[in-house]
Amino acid sequence: MALLNELFEAKKFVVTVEIGPPKGVDLTEALEDAELLRGRVDAFNVTDQQSSVMRLGSLPLCHLLKDRGLEPVFQITCRDRNRIALQSDLLSAYVLGVQNILCLTGDHVSLGDHPQAKPVFDLDSVSLLQAASLLQKGQDLAGKELKGKPQFSLGAVVTPGGDPVELQIIKMEKKVKAGAQFFQTQAVYEPETFARFMDKVSYLNVPVMVGIVLLKSAAMARFMNKNVAGVHVPENLIEEMDKAPNKAQKSIEIAARLIREMRPLCQGVHIMPIGWEKRVPALLDAAGL
Amino acid sequence: MIVTEQKAFTEVNESLVGHQKIFVIGCGSCATAWHTGGEAEVKEMVEKLQGAGKTCIGWAISEETCDERKTRRELRAHSSELAEAEGVLVMSCGAGVQTTALVLEDKPVYPALNAMFLARLQRLTRADERCLLCGECILASTGGLCPVTLCPKELLNGPCGGYNHGMCEVNPDRECAWVSIYHRLQRIGQLDRLHLIQSPKDQSKRGHPRLVDKGAA
Repeated sequence: MALLNELFEAKKFVVTVEIGPPKGVDLTEALEDAELLRGRVDAFNVTDQQSSVMRLGSLPLCHLLKDRGLEPVFQITCRDRNRIALQSDLLSAYVLGVQNILCLTGDHVSLGDHPQAKPVFDLDSVSLLQAASLLQKGQDLAGKELKGKPQFSLGAVVTPGGDPVELQIIKMEKKVKAGAQFFQTQAVYEPETFARFMDKVSYLNVPVMVGIVLLKSAAMARFMNKNVAGVHVPENLIEEMDKAPNKAQKSIEIAARLIREMRPLCQGVHIMPIGWEKRVPALLDAAGL
Repeated sequence: MIVTEQKAFTEVNESLVGHQKIFVIGCGSCATAWHTGGEAEVKEMVEKLQGAGKTCIGWAISEETCDERKTRRELRAHSSELAEAEGVLVMSCGAGVQTTALVLEDKPVYPALNAMFLARLQRLTRADERCLLCGECILASTGGLCPVTLCPKELLNGPCGGYNHGMCEVNPDRECAWVSIYHRLQRIGQLDRLHLIQSPKDQSKRGHPRLVDKGAA
Protein backbone atom coordinates (compact mmCIF):
# COMPACT_ATOMS: atom_id res chain seq x y z
CA MET A 1 0.00 0.00 0.00
CA ALA A 2 1.27 3.43 -0.90
CA LEU A 3 0.00 6.92 -0.28
CA LEU A 4 -1.62 8.62 -3.24
CA ASN A 5 1.04 11.32 -3.62
CA GLU A 6 3.69 8.58 -3.80
CA LEU A 7 1.77 6.86 -6.59
CA PHE A 8 1.48 10.11 -8.51
CA GLU A 9 5.19 10.75 -8.03
CA ALA A 10 5.86 7.25 -9.41
CA LYS A 11 3.80 8.29 -12.50
CA LYS A 12 1.20 5.62 -11.88
CA PHE A 13 -2.30 6.18 -13.32
CA VAL A 14 -4.18 6.16 -10.03
CA VAL A 15 -7.61 4.57 -9.61
CA THR A 16 -9.81 5.32 -6.60
CA VAL A 17 -13.39 4.40 -5.90
CA GLU A 18 -15.85 6.06 -3.58
CA ILE A 19 -17.59 4.10 -0.85
CA GLY A 20 -20.14 5.43 1.59
CA PRO A 21 -20.47 4.33 5.21
CA PRO A 22 -23.95 2.98 6.03
CA LYS A 23 -26.65 4.77 7.97
CA GLY A 24 -26.28 2.50 10.96
CA VAL A 25 -23.63 0.07 12.12
CA ASP A 26 -23.98 -2.86 9.73
CA LEU A 27 -20.81 -2.71 7.65
CA THR A 28 -21.34 -6.01 5.80
CA GLU A 29 -22.17 -4.46 2.44
CA ALA A 30 -19.57 -1.69 2.56
CA LEU A 31 -16.81 -4.17 3.35
CA GLU A 32 -18.08 -6.65 0.72
CA ASP A 33 -17.99 -3.88 -1.90
CA ALA A 34 -14.44 -3.05 -0.90
CA GLU A 35 -13.34 -6.71 -1.01
CA LEU A 36 -14.64 -7.01 -4.58
CA LEU A 37 -12.09 -4.38 -5.57
CA ARG A 38 -9.10 -5.65 -3.57
CA GLY A 39 -6.01 -5.38 -5.73
CA ARG A 40 -7.90 -3.54 -8.47
CA VAL A 41 -7.98 0.02 -7.16
CA ASP A 42 -5.33 2.07 -5.41
CA ALA A 43 -7.55 3.50 -2.71
CA PHE A 44 -11.08 3.68 -1.33
CA ASN A 45 -12.40 7.15 -0.89
CA VAL A 46 -14.72 7.12 2.13
CA THR A 47 -17.38 9.84 2.18
CA ASP A 48 -18.05 12.07 5.18
CA GLN A 49 -21.83 12.03 5.71
CA GLN A 50 -22.34 12.68 2.04
CA SER A 51 -25.15 15.07 1.05
CA SER A 52 -25.39 16.01 4.75
CA VAL A 53 -27.16 12.73 5.53
CA MET A 54 -26.27 11.48 9.02
CA ARG A 55 -24.33 8.21 8.80
CA LEU A 56 -21.48 6.28 10.32
CA GLY A 57 -18.33 8.39 10.20
CA SER A 58 -15.71 8.26 7.49
CA LEU A 59 -12.74 7.77 9.83
CA PRO A 60 -13.82 4.48 11.47
CA LEU A 61 -14.50 2.89 8.07
CA CYS A 62 -11.13 4.17 6.79
CA HIS A 63 -9.49 2.57 9.81
CA LEU A 64 -11.29 -0.78 9.27
CA LEU A 65 -10.24 -0.79 5.61
CA LYS A 66 -6.65 -0.09 6.60
CA ASP A 67 -6.79 -2.99 9.08
CA ARG A 68 -7.82 -5.23 6.19
CA GLY A 69 -4.90 -4.09 4.08
CA LEU A 70 -6.95 -1.75 1.88
CA GLU A 71 -5.78 1.85 1.39
CA PRO A 72 -8.36 4.46 2.42
CA VAL A 73 -8.84 8.16 1.63
CA PHE A 74 -10.44 10.00 4.53
CA GLN A 75 -12.91 12.59 3.28
CA ILE A 76 -13.22 15.36 5.83
CA THR A 77 -15.68 18.24 5.52
CA CYS A 78 -16.01 21.56 7.36
CA ARG A 79 -19.76 21.21 7.78
CA ASP A 80 -19.97 19.53 11.19
CA ARG A 81 -16.77 20.38 13.07
CA ASN A 82 -15.02 23.52 14.19
CA ARG A 83 -11.26 24.02 13.82
CA ILE A 84 -10.54 22.25 17.10
CA ALA A 85 -12.40 19.08 16.08
CA LEU A 86 -11.07 19.14 12.49
CA GLN A 87 -7.43 19.35 13.57
CA SER A 88 -8.01 16.71 16.24
CA ASP A 89 -9.60 14.34 13.70
CA LEU A 90 -6.64 14.83 11.36
CA LEU A 91 -4.30 13.82 14.19
CA SER A 92 -6.59 10.87 15.01
CA ALA A 93 -6.55 9.75 11.37
CA TYR A 94 -2.76 9.70 11.34
CA VAL A 95 -2.42 7.58 14.49
CA LEU A 96 -4.98 5.14 13.02
CA GLY A 97 -2.80 4.77 9.92
CA VAL A 98 -5.06 6.87 7.72
CA GLN A 99 -2.90 9.37 5.81
CA ASN A 100 -4.69 10.08 2.52
CA ILE A 101 -6.95 13.01 3.30
CA LEU A 102 -9.48 14.66 1.00
CA CYS A 103 -10.31 18.15 2.30
CA LEU A 104 -13.78 19.39 1.41
CA THR A 105 -16.05 22.26 2.36
CA GLY A 106 -19.03 19.89 2.59
CA ASP A 107 -22.64 20.20 1.55
CA HIS A 108 -24.91 22.58 3.43
CA VAL A 109 -27.03 20.97 6.15
CA SER A 110 -30.21 22.23 4.49
CA LEU A 111 -29.73 19.66 1.71
CA GLY A 112 -29.59 16.65 4.02
CA ASP A 113 -31.81 14.74 6.43
CA HIS A 114 -31.22 16.99 9.46
CA PRO A 115 -31.93 20.43 7.94
CA GLN A 116 -32.48 21.91 11.43
CA ALA A 117 -28.85 21.25 12.41
CA LYS A 118 -26.44 24.14 12.99
CA PRO A 119 -24.01 24.39 10.05
CA VAL A 120 -20.46 24.93 11.29
CA PHE A 121 -18.11 25.98 8.42
CA ASP A 122 -15.62 27.46 10.89
CA LEU A 123 -12.94 26.66 8.28
CA ASP A 124 -13.34 26.21 4.52
CA SER A 125 -11.60 23.73 2.22
CA VAL A 126 -8.65 26.12 1.75
CA SER A 127 -8.08 26.84 5.43
CA LEU A 128 -8.59 23.14 6.24
CA LEU A 129 -5.75 22.31 3.84
CA GLN A 130 -3.66 25.01 5.51
CA ALA A 131 -4.41 23.48 8.90
CA ALA A 132 -3.37 20.00 7.70
CA SER A 133 -0.17 21.43 6.19
CA LEU A 134 0.64 23.19 9.46
CA LEU A 135 0.06 20.01 11.47
CA GLN A 136 2.61 18.28 9.23
CA LYS A 137 5.09 20.96 10.20
CA GLY A 138 4.40 20.24 13.85
CA GLN A 139 2.16 23.21 14.55
CA ASP A 140 -1.56 23.83 14.95
CA LEU A 141 -3.69 26.76 13.78
CA ALA A 142 -3.12 28.51 17.09
CA GLY A 143 0.64 28.34 16.54
CA LYS A 144 1.13 25.76 19.31
CA GLU A 145 3.74 23.05 18.95
CA LEU A 146 2.73 19.39 18.49
CA LYS A 147 4.25 16.38 20.17
CA GLY A 148 5.07 14.31 17.08
CA LYS A 149 4.26 15.38 13.51
CA PRO A 150 1.69 13.60 11.33
CA GLN A 151 2.34 13.01 7.62
CA PHE A 152 -0.45 13.20 5.09
CA SER A 153 -1.14 12.96 1.40
CA LEU A 154 -3.50 15.90 0.91
CA GLY A 155 -6.18 16.02 -1.73
CA ALA A 156 -8.94 18.40 -2.76
CA VAL A 157 -11.74 18.66 -5.30
CA VAL A 158 -12.53 20.82 -8.29
CA THR A 159 -15.44 21.08 -10.73
CA PRO A 160 -14.16 21.42 -14.32
CA GLY A 161 -17.70 22.20 -15.52
CA GLY A 162 -18.25 25.03 -13.03
CA ASP A 163 -19.58 28.20 -14.62
CA PRO A 164 -17.74 30.57 -14.48
CA VAL A 165 -14.82 28.11 -14.51
CA GLU A 166 -12.33 30.89 -13.62
CA LEU A 167 -13.70 30.87 -10.07
CA GLN A 168 -12.99 27.13 -9.85
CA ILE A 169 -9.47 27.63 -11.09
CA ILE A 170 -8.70 30.50 -8.71
CA LYS A 171 -9.90 28.37 -5.81
CA MET A 172 -7.94 25.38 -7.09
CA GLU A 173 -4.82 27.56 -7.15
CA LYS A 174 -5.48 28.59 -3.54
CA LYS A 175 -5.85 24.93 -2.58
CA VAL A 176 -2.49 24.12 -4.19
CA LYS A 177 -0.89 27.02 -2.29
CA ALA A 178 -2.51 25.69 0.89
CA GLY A 179 -0.98 22.24 0.41
CA ALA A 180 -3.18 20.16 -1.92
CA GLN A 181 -1.05 17.47 -3.60
CA PHE A 182 -3.76 15.97 -5.80
CA PHE A 183 -7.25 16.73 -7.05
CA GLN A 184 -10.28 14.70 -7.92
CA THR A 185 -13.03 16.22 -10.02
CA GLN A 186 -16.80 16.32 -10.08
CA ALA A 187 -18.29 13.93 -12.67
CA VAL A 188 -17.17 14.71 -16.22
CA TYR A 189 -19.01 13.53 -19.36
CA GLU A 190 -17.44 15.80 -21.96
CA PRO A 191 -13.80 15.01 -22.75
CA GLU A 192 -13.47 18.26 -24.77
CA THR A 193 -14.52 20.40 -21.78
CA PHE A 194 -12.13 18.43 -19.60
CA ALA A 195 -9.27 18.87 -22.06
CA ARG A 196 -9.81 22.65 -22.08
CA PHE A 197 -9.92 22.66 -18.29
CA MET A 198 -6.72 20.61 -17.97
CA ASP A 199 -5.03 22.98 -20.36
CA LYS A 200 -6.04 25.97 -18.21
CA VAL A 201 -4.76 24.39 -14.98
CA SER A 202 -1.55 22.93 -16.39
CA TYR A 203 0.37 25.83 -14.80
CA LEU A 204 -0.52 24.43 -11.37
CA ASN A 205 1.43 21.26 -12.09
CA VAL A 206 -0.71 19.10 -9.81
CA PRO A 207 -2.10 15.59 -10.46
CA VAL A 208 -5.81 15.46 -11.33
CA MET A 209 -8.06 12.41 -11.17
CA VAL A 210 -11.08 12.71 -13.42
CA GLY A 211 -14.41 11.97 -11.75
CA ILE A 212 -16.62 9.27 -13.27
CA VAL A 213 -20.21 8.73 -12.18
CA LEU A 214 -21.99 5.72 -13.69
CA LEU A 215 -25.08 6.85 -15.58
CA LYS A 216 -28.00 4.65 -14.61
CA SER A 217 -30.60 5.98 -17.02
CA ALA A 218 -31.46 8.84 -19.34
CA ALA A 219 -33.65 10.25 -16.56
CA MET A 220 -30.71 10.33 -14.15
CA ALA A 221 -28.66 12.20 -16.75
CA ARG A 222 -31.40 14.79 -17.22
CA PHE A 223 -31.80 15.12 -13.47
CA MET A 224 -28.08 15.78 -13.04
CA ASN A 225 -28.07 18.32 -15.86
CA LYS A 226 -30.79 20.25 -14.11
CA ASN A 227 -29.78 19.82 -10.48
CA VAL A 228 -26.13 18.89 -10.03
CA ALA A 229 -23.74 21.81 -10.08
CA GLY A 230 -21.14 21.75 -12.83
CA VAL A 231 -22.27 18.44 -14.31
CA HIS A 232 -23.36 18.28 -17.94
CA VAL A 233 -24.27 15.08 -19.74
CA PRO A 234 -24.37 15.81 -23.48
CA GLU A 235 -27.51 14.99 -25.44
CA ASN A 236 -25.86 12.20 -27.49
CA LEU A 237 -25.03 10.26 -24.31
CA ILE A 238 -28.56 10.71 -22.99
CA GLU A 239 -29.89 9.36 -26.27
CA GLU A 240 -27.49 6.43 -26.15
CA MET A 241 -28.73 5.53 -22.67
CA ASP A 242 -32.34 6.04 -23.69
CA LYS A 243 -32.11 3.65 -26.64
CA ALA A 244 -30.04 0.97 -24.92
CA PRO A 245 -31.98 -2.23 -24.11
CA ASN A 246 -29.49 -3.11 -21.37
CA LYS A 247 -28.91 0.06 -19.32
CA ALA A 248 -26.27 -1.41 -17.02
CA GLN A 249 -24.20 -2.66 -19.92
CA LYS A 250 -24.51 0.65 -21.76
CA SER A 251 -23.63 2.56 -18.61
CA ILE A 252 -20.39 0.64 -18.25
CA GLU A 253 -19.63 1.00 -21.94
CA ILE A 254 -20.04 4.79 -21.75
CA ALA A 255 -18.00 5.13 -18.55
CA ALA A 256 -15.20 2.93 -19.95
CA ARG A 257 -15.13 4.99 -23.14
CA LEU A 258 -14.92 8.23 -21.14
CA ILE A 259 -12.06 6.85 -19.06
CA ARG A 260 -10.16 5.73 -22.17
CA GLU A 261 -10.67 9.11 -23.84
CA MET A 262 -9.64 11.14 -20.80
CA ARG A 263 -6.83 8.93 -19.52
CA PRO A 264 -4.18 10.68 -21.64
CA LEU A 265 -5.33 14.06 -20.27
CA CYS A 266 -4.92 13.35 -16.56
CA GLN A 267 -3.18 11.36 -13.84
CA GLY A 268 -5.94 9.15 -12.50
CA VAL A 269 -9.62 8.35 -12.29
CA HIS A 270 -11.99 8.60 -9.36
CA ILE A 271 -15.06 6.39 -9.74
CA MET A 272 -18.30 7.25 -7.95
CA PRO A 273 -20.59 4.24 -8.43
CA ILE A 274 -23.53 5.62 -6.32
CA GLY A 275 -25.13 2.24 -5.56
CA TRP A 276 -23.59 0.33 -8.46
CA GLU A 277 -20.44 -0.66 -6.55
CA LYS A 278 -20.77 -4.30 -7.68
CA ARG A 279 -20.43 -3.20 -11.30
CA VAL A 280 -17.09 -1.44 -10.81
CA PRO A 281 -14.95 -4.56 -11.58
CA ALA A 282 -16.68 -4.86 -14.97
CA LEU A 283 -16.03 -1.15 -15.58
CA LEU A 284 -12.35 -1.54 -14.75
CA ASP A 285 -12.16 -4.50 -17.17
CA ALA A 286 -13.85 -2.54 -19.93
CA ALA A 287 -11.64 0.52 -19.33
CA GLY A 288 -8.49 -1.59 -19.39
CA LEU A 289 -7.56 -0.72 -15.81
CA MET B 1 -31.90 48.71 9.20
CA ILE B 2 -33.04 45.93 11.54
CA VAL B 3 -35.82 43.98 9.85
CA THR B 4 -38.60 42.85 12.15
CA GLU B 5 -41.86 40.98 11.69
CA GLN B 6 -45.01 41.26 13.73
CA LYS B 7 -45.80 38.27 15.88
CA ALA B 8 -49.22 36.66 15.38
CA PHE B 9 -51.69 38.60 17.52
CA THR B 10 -52.73 35.40 19.32
CA GLU B 11 -49.16 34.93 20.56
CA VAL B 12 -49.00 38.57 21.71
CA ASN B 13 -52.37 38.29 23.43
CA GLU B 14 -51.37 35.04 25.18
CA SER B 15 -48.17 36.62 26.50
CA LEU B 16 -50.29 39.39 28.11
CA VAL B 17 -52.40 36.90 30.04
CA GLY B 18 -53.33 38.20 33.49
CA HIS B 19 -52.86 41.84 32.51
CA GLN B 20 -55.85 44.10 31.83
CA LYS B 21 -54.25 47.54 31.45
CA ILE B 22 -51.68 47.69 28.66
CA PHE B 23 -49.34 50.45 27.49
CA VAL B 24 -47.93 50.16 23.95
CA ILE B 25 -44.56 51.53 22.83
CA GLY B 26 -43.48 51.83 19.21
CA CYS B 27 -40.09 52.61 17.70
CA GLY B 28 -39.43 55.68 15.55
CA SER B 29 -36.45 54.11 13.82
CA CYS B 30 -36.26 50.74 11.99
CA ALA B 31 -39.73 49.51 12.95
CA THR B 32 -41.23 52.74 11.60
CA ALA B 33 -39.33 52.49 8.30
CA TRP B 34 -40.33 48.85 7.90
CA HIS B 35 -43.95 49.46 9.02
CA THR B 36 -43.94 46.92 11.82
CA GLY B 37 -43.86 49.21 14.87
CA GLY B 38 -44.39 52.84 13.85
CA GLU B 39 -47.29 55.07 14.83
CA ALA B 40 -49.76 53.48 12.40
CA GLU B 41 -48.94 49.96 13.61
CA VAL B 42 -49.09 51.02 17.25
CA LYS B 43 -52.59 52.43 16.71
CA GLU B 44 -53.63 49.20 14.97
CA MET B 45 -52.28 47.21 17.91
CA VAL B 46 -54.22 49.38 20.36
CA GLU B 47 -57.43 48.58 18.46
CA LYS B 48 -56.69 44.87 18.37
CA LEU B 49 -55.97 44.79 22.09
CA GLN B 50 -59.20 46.60 22.83
CA GLY B 51 -61.00 44.18 20.51
CA ALA B 52 -59.56 41.36 22.60
CA GLY B 53 -60.97 42.94 25.75
CA LYS B 54 -57.85 44.69 27.04
CA THR B 55 -57.78 48.29 28.23
CA CYS B 56 -55.17 50.36 26.42
CA ILE B 57 -54.26 53.09 28.80
CA GLY B 58 -51.85 54.83 26.49
CA TRP B 59 -49.16 54.59 23.83
CA ALA B 60 -45.94 56.30 22.87
CA ILE B 61 -43.27 56.26 20.19
CA SER B 62 -39.65 56.42 21.29
CA GLU B 63 -37.53 58.10 18.63
CA GLU B 64 -35.16 55.12 18.89
CA THR B 65 -36.29 52.50 21.39
CA CYS B 66 -32.76 51.07 21.66
CA ASP B 67 -31.39 54.46 22.75
CA GLU B 68 -31.83 54.38 26.51
CA ARG B 69 -31.76 58.17 26.94
CA LYS B 70 -34.43 58.77 24.29
CA THR B 71 -36.68 56.00 25.60
CA ARG B 72 -36.31 57.20 29.19
CA ARG B 73 -37.23 60.75 28.14
CA GLU B 74 -40.26 59.56 26.15
CA LEU B 75 -41.52 57.31 28.93
CA ARG B 76 -41.07 60.02 31.56
CA ALA B 77 -43.67 62.05 29.65
CA HIS B 78 -46.10 59.15 30.14
CA SER B 79 -45.21 58.31 33.74
CA SER B 80 -48.72 58.49 35.14
CA GLU B 81 -50.17 56.10 32.50
CA LEU B 82 -47.19 53.79 32.92
CA ALA B 83 -47.66 53.74 36.69
CA GLU B 84 -51.13 52.41 36.09
CA ALA B 85 -50.15 49.92 33.34
CA GLU B 86 -49.98 46.24 34.29
CA GLY B 87 -48.03 45.30 31.20
CA VAL B 88 -46.04 47.14 28.51
CA LEU B 89 -45.99 45.90 24.91
CA VAL B 90 -43.01 47.02 22.83
CA MET B 91 -43.12 47.10 19.03
CA SER B 92 -39.40 47.10 18.25
CA CYS B 93 -36.46 44.74 17.86
CA GLY B 94 -35.13 42.86 20.88
CA ALA B 95 -32.67 45.65 21.68
CA GLY B 96 -35.59 48.06 22.04
CA VAL B 97 -37.63 45.65 24.17
CA GLN B 98 -34.71 45.10 26.53
CA THR B 99 -33.85 48.78 26.72
CA THR B 100 -37.48 49.45 27.71
CA ALA B 101 -37.41 46.65 30.29
CA LEU B 102 -34.24 48.10 31.83
CA VAL B 103 -35.73 51.61 31.89
CA LEU B 104 -39.02 50.49 33.45
CA GLU B 105 -37.30 48.24 36.01
CA ASP B 106 -40.25 46.71 37.89
CA LYS B 107 -42.83 46.67 35.08
CA PRO B 108 -43.43 43.53 32.93
CA VAL B 109 -42.42 44.22 29.32
CA TYR B 110 -43.41 42.08 26.28
CA PRO B 111 -42.28 41.89 22.65
CA ALA B 112 -44.76 42.36 19.79
CA LEU B 113 -42.18 41.68 17.04
CA ASN B 114 -39.54 39.16 16.08
CA ALA B 115 -36.20 40.72 15.12
CA MET B 116 -34.81 39.08 12.00
CA PHE B 117 -31.71 40.59 10.42
CA LEU B 118 -29.63 43.63 9.52
CA ALA B 119 -30.58 44.66 6.03
CA ARG B 120 -30.40 46.89 3.07
CA LEU B 121 -33.82 48.50 2.51
CA GLN B 122 -34.29 48.07 -1.23
CA ARG B 123 -37.77 49.48 -1.43
CA LEU B 124 -40.66 49.92 1.00
CA THR B 125 -41.55 46.24 0.90
CA ARG B 126 -38.22 44.57 0.24
CA ALA B 127 -35.13 44.23 2.41
CA ASP B 128 -32.26 41.76 2.20
CA GLU B 129 -29.69 40.73 4.78
CA ARG B 130 -26.37 42.52 4.35
CA CYS B 131 -24.30 42.30 7.53
CA LEU B 132 -23.78 39.67 10.24
CA LEU B 133 -21.88 42.09 12.50
CA CYS B 134 -18.91 39.69 12.54
CA GLY B 135 -16.52 42.29 13.91
CA GLU B 136 -13.86 41.66 11.23
CA CYS B 137 -14.92 43.35 7.99
CA ILE B 138 -13.36 41.91 4.81
CA LEU B 139 -15.37 43.95 2.29
CA ALA B 140 -12.17 45.62 1.05
CA SER B 141 -11.11 42.38 -0.63
CA THR B 142 -14.51 41.27 -1.88
CA GLY B 143 -15.68 44.24 -3.93
CA GLY B 144 -17.97 45.53 -1.20
CA LEU B 145 -20.12 42.38 -1.16
CA CYS B 146 -20.01 40.24 1.98
CA PRO B 147 -19.51 36.47 1.60
CA VAL B 148 -19.97 35.98 5.33
CA THR B 149 -23.54 37.25 4.99
CA LEU B 150 -24.39 36.25 1.43
CA CYS B 151 -22.92 32.71 1.39
CA PRO B 152 -24.90 30.24 3.53
CA LYS B 153 -21.60 28.53 4.37
CA GLU B 154 -19.83 31.85 5.10
CA LEU B 155 -17.00 30.78 2.79
CA LEU B 156 -14.03 33.14 2.66
CA ASN B 157 -11.97 31.72 -0.19
CA GLY B 158 -14.32 31.35 -3.12
CA PRO B 159 -17.39 29.30 -3.94
CA CYS B 160 -18.10 25.72 -2.91
CA GLY B 161 -18.79 23.18 -5.63
CA GLY B 162 -22.51 23.80 -5.33
CA TYR B 163 -23.06 26.85 -7.54
CA ASN B 164 -25.16 25.82 -10.49
CA HIS B 165 -25.36 28.08 -13.55
CA GLY B 166 -24.17 30.84 -11.22
CA MET B 167 -26.89 30.24 -8.67
CA CYS B 168 -26.57 29.18 -5.01
CA GLU B 169 -27.25 25.54 -4.20
CA VAL B 170 -28.92 26.39 -0.91
CA ASN B 171 -31.08 29.24 -2.29
CA PRO B 172 -31.46 28.46 -6.01
CA ASP B 173 -33.27 31.79 -6.55
CA ARG B 174 -30.18 33.75 -5.52
CA GLU B 175 -26.92 34.23 -7.31
CA CYS B 176 -23.95 32.52 -5.62
CA ALA B 177 -22.27 35.12 -3.40
CA TRP B 178 -18.89 34.35 -4.95
CA VAL B 179 -20.22 34.64 -8.48
CA SER B 180 -21.55 38.11 -7.53
CA ILE B 181 -18.21 39.00 -5.95
CA TYR B 182 -16.34 37.71 -9.02
CA HIS B 183 -18.41 39.86 -11.39
CA ARG B 184 -18.10 42.89 -9.15
CA LEU B 185 -14.29 42.57 -8.81
CA GLN B 186 -14.07 42.13 -12.57
CA ARG B 187 -16.09 45.32 -13.11
CA ILE B 188 -13.94 47.38 -10.75
CA GLY B 189 -10.66 45.91 -12.00
CA GLN B 190 -9.72 44.14 -8.77
CA LEU B 191 -9.83 40.48 -9.80
CA ASP B 192 -6.33 40.05 -8.36
CA ARG B 193 -7.83 40.35 -4.86
CA LEU B 194 -9.61 37.04 -5.42
CA HIS B 195 -6.28 35.21 -5.37
CA LEU B 196 -5.45 36.17 -1.77
CA ILE B 197 -6.03 33.42 0.77
CA GLN B 198 -8.27 34.69 3.57
CA SER B 199 -7.44 33.39 7.04
CA PRO B 200 -10.25 31.82 9.05
CA LYS B 201 -12.36 34.32 10.96
CA ASP B 202 -11.59 35.16 14.55
CA GLN B 203 -14.89 33.81 15.85
CA SER B 204 -14.17 35.21 19.30
CA LYS B 205 -15.14 38.61 17.84
CA ARG B 206 -18.66 37.24 17.43
CA GLY B 207 -18.76 35.79 20.93
CA HIS B 208 -21.69 37.38 22.74
CA PRO B 209 -22.81 39.36 24.62
CA ARG B 210 -20.56 42.03 23.17
CA LEU B 211 -19.91 45.35 24.88
CA VAL B 212 -18.10 48.51 23.88
CA ASP B 213 -17.32 51.22 26.42
CA LYS B 214 -15.42 53.98 24.71
CA GLY B 215 -15.20 55.96 27.95
CA ALA B 216 -13.76 53.13 30.05
CA ALA B 217 -10.20 53.13 28.68
